[in-house]
Amino acid sequence: MNYTFDFNAVSISPLLQGLWVSLELTAAANVIGVVLGFVLALLIMSNYRMIRLPFMLFVELFRCTPAIVQIVWIFYCVPMIFDVFLDPITMGVLALGLNLMAFNAEAYRAAIQAVPREQLDAGIALGLSPLQRILYIVFPTAFRASIPVLLTNGIVIFQQSALVAIVAIQDLMYQGKTLATETYRPIETFTVVALIYFAVSFPITQIVGLLERRRQLLSS
Amino acid sequence: MSFSLPLVKMQALHKSYGDGAVQVLKGIDIEMKPGERVVVIGPSGGGKSTLLRVMMGLEQIDSGSISFDGKAYISSQGTGRKTAIDTEVRRSIGMVFQHYTLFPHLNVTQNLILAPCKVRGETKAKAETRAQTLLERFGLAAKAKAYPAQLSGGQKQRVAIARALMLDPKLMLFDEVTSALDPELVSEVEQVILQLASQNMPMMIVTHDMWFAKNIASRVIFCAGGIVVEDGPPEQVLGAPKEERTKEFIDRVFHIKQ
Repeated sequence: MNYTFDFNAVSISPLLQGLWVSLELTAAANVIGVVLGFVLALLIMSNYRMIRLPFMLFVELFRCTPAIVQIVWIFYCVPMIFDVFLDPITMGVLALGLNLMAFNAEAYRAAIQAVPREQLDAGIALGLSPLQRILYIVFPTAFRASIPVLLTNGIVIFQQSALVAIVAIQDLMYQGKTLATETYRPIETFTVVALIYFAVSFPITQIVGLLERRRQLLSS
Repeated sequence: MSFSLPLVKMQALHKSYGDGAVQVLKGIDIEMKPGERVVVIGPSGGGKSTLLRVMMGLEQIDSGSISFDGKAYISSQGTGRKTAIDTEVRRSIGMVFQHYTLFPHLNVTQNLILAPCKVRGETKAKAETRAQTLLERFGLAAKAKAYPAQLSGGQKQRVAIARALMLDPKLMLFDEVTSALDPELVSEVEQVILQLASQNMPMMIVTHDMWFAKNIASRVIFCAGGIVVEDGPPEQVLGAPKEERTKEFIDRVFHIKQ
C-alpha cells in the first residue's frame, strides 16, 4: 500500500461541532427514553387489553424494524401524514427517543416484574395510593435495577445517532462525511470520527461493567 | 370490657383461587373485641395468612364482609365481582409481613416517614421526630440512617413494626413475622410485639411458634381447611383442645418442639 497518511488535513473543529450535536441528540433521546420508557413499561403491563395491545404493538414496531428505516420514515412520512413540520433536530430527537423508549420499556418491564410482591403489599398496608406505590416503591427499585441496561441502551442510541446524518442533521457523522468530501481524505477523517465515537462510548461501557460486577458482588 | 362492641366483625367470608377451583376460606365468622390479642394457628394452606391478607384488603373475596369499629370496609357481592374496600377505614389497620417488606432504596428513617408524609401529609420534621422516638423505644436509634441491606433479619422486622406503628393503627396484623428469621433473632422481634401487647394494642397474629402463641394470646383460633375449627382461650385451645383436629395438630406441633 502506497498510501501516505495525512491527518493534518482533518480539521478537528467541525468534528467537535458535530459531536456536540450528536451528544445533544443522545441526551434528549435519553430523557425521553428513561422517563417515557417507564410509562410505556407500565402501559404494556396494563391489566386491560385495550391499553396493553396498542402499546405492545408500538414496542414491537420499533424493535423489529431497522433504526435507519425508522429515522427515514419519521423524517419523510410524519410531516406528510400528520401535516406537521418540525426542525430536523427535533425530528431526530423524536426518532431516536421513540426507538430508545421501546427498548428501555422492555428493560423496565423485567425490572418491574422483579420488584417483590411483598413490597407492594407493604405499600398497600401503609395506605399508599396506586400512584404513590409506583412513584415511591416501583420506580426507584426498578430504575436502580435497570441502570446497566439503560446505560447500555443509551450508548447504543449515541451510536445509532450517526444514522441521522443521512437526513442532513449536522451531527458528527455528517460533519465527517462533509470533511471527507472536501479534503479527499476519507480514511483519516473516518478514522478520527470512529475514535471520537469510541472515546465517548468506551468509558460508559466500562461503568456498566463496573456496576454489573458490583451488583453481582452485592447479591452473592 | 366483655360487653363492648366488636372491633372487627367478619361475616361469612368466602375466598377461592382460580375461579372457585380452590377454596381457601369457606365461611369465616370471627368477632374480635377491642384489646383482644388473637393468635391464629393451623396447618399450612388452612387459610390463616389469607385471612389476614383479606383483612388488609390485599386479596379479593368471593363473598362476605368485614367491618371495623362498626363500619363495613370490605365486602363483596359474589364471585368475580370486585371486592369493595373502604381505604379510609383500612388505614386504621397496620400489617407486618414475613419478609422483603422494607423498601431497599430508603434508609430506616425514610422507610418510617414515607407513609406519614405522603399519606397523611405530615411534615418531614414532625414525622422524623416521631420516628426517632419509636426507634429509640425499639432499641434501633443507632440504625436510623442505615439501609435495610445493612440490617439483620430481626432488626428489619423491628423496623417494619415501627413503620406500621407510625400510622397509629388501631389494630395490628402480624403474618408469620418470625418464620423467615434465624432462630437466635426470633426473640428480639417477639419482645417488641409483647411490648405492644402490654400497651393493649389489639392484634391478630399468625404464627407457627407455639411458645409465642401461648405467651401473647388472649384468644387462640385454630383454622384448618378454610374454617374455624376451634376458638377459645389459649389454655383451652393449646392446652386442652376440644376438637379432634385441633388435638391432632397440637400434639404434632408440640411433639416436634420437644
